[in-house]
Amino acid sequence: MARDLAIDLGTANTLVYMKGRGIVLNEPSVIALNRQTGEVLATGREAWQMIGRTPGYIVAVRPLRGGAITDFEITERMIRLLLQRVGVSRFTRPKVVICVPSAITEVERRAVTDAARRAGAADANLIEQPMAAAIGADLPIDEPVGNMVIDIGGGTSETAVISLGGIVALEAVRVGSFDIDAAIQNYVRREHGIAIGERTAEEIKIAIGSADPTPQESQAEVRGRDLMTGLPKTVVLTPEEIRYAIEDVVSSIVASVIRCLAKAPPELSQDFLVRGMYLVGGGGLLRGLAQRIERETKVPVRMSNVPLEAVVLGAGHVIEHYDALKGMFMGARR
Amino acid sequence: MTPIVVIVLAAAVAAAIAVSASRYRRSRDGVDSFRRQIDALSPEARRPVVDQVQSAAEANDASSAADEEDDDDGT
Repeated sequence: MARDLAIDLGTANTLVYMKGRGIVLNEPSVIALNRQTGEVLATGREAWQMIGRTPGYIVAVRPLRGGAITDFEITERMIRLLLQRVGVSRFTRPKVVICVPSAITEVERRAVTDAARRAGAADANLIEQPMAAAIGADLPIDEPVGNMVIDIGGGTSETAVISLGGIVALEAVRVGSFDIDAAIQNYVRREHGIAIGERTAEEIKIAIGSADPTPQESQAEVRGRDLMTGLPKTVVLTPEEIRYAIEDVVSSIVASVIRCLAKAPPELSQDFLVRGMYLVGGGGLLRGLAQRIERETKVPVRMSNVPLEAVVLGAGHVIEHYDALKGMFMGARR
Repeated sequence: MTPIVVIVLAAAVAAAIAVSASRYRRSRDGVDSFRRQIDALSPEARRPVVDQVQSAAEANDASSAADEEDDDDGT
């Protein structure tokens, strides 16, 4: 018999939780295809290593952008391969719970559930990422108190106020850590005249990127292609430059948190001052981001113990208590 | 005439009882499912999932540490 699955189908990474077993897969949401034959050459980590380094006939793509499916067919193939890797076959069709951004449209919802069903799921239901994150981050969402969770993913940033098992206020923007990488790429191109790939931009972000000044900052040497001469060139970037480069993206994330705070009922607002807000998602690992949000909102910000896994753990908990928690699926509350 | 009136009245009363009973059951179902949902979201209910993942992470850490030690011995 098939073991039911919870999938965090993220723009950056896909995580799969298997009922009774825990997290069984954690890989980048990337697929490499032969452009001529359409054949899948690699998925996950192997495909991620190919990004920007493939010959013309191979393309390594992320089929999700801004938390939404940009290529239905490729996403379906990626989900099918992921399910095969965790043991799903034609004869074992599990129930699947998929975490999606809360702001996705009806068409996008249909695309995700159809892709999962066609890929081998017996039944596919969706749950909002901030709700799953709050469950996975072990917040006391069963109590009548305000719990605020900020989930910063690869393509979306969502802030939700949750109380008594339901979302009270929600704010989502289609901006995430990939936009930070893109901002770094654009800055380096504009100010230093060199082209760098998205993986290099990500490495710069991890090495010296920050949203607020932090102690012990260092510089980074970056190699790219000179746009004028076409030759390889090295430049040195400072943390101040990177902060300037990513300022628009960071401001937009902070502004969405402030809008969510403004939407929250006053009775719950006072809880945040005592309990703080919880930061989850890979984007939340950007140095100084918690400090920056705290400085601008005057509300304490705490980092979850499991920032990268919180969403899939929450969905995993839902799959473990499927009957009791099926009322939390998107569309079930209408 | 009278038996027909009695039958109609009885049918109307039975229908009213059935409707109110189903409404009551539906409202009880709502309350029960909310209670089940809140119970399933309690920290105690969530503990096994967190423990399972933490023990898997610890096992992974232990095995990778052992691998590193093996590598160190080899060099």
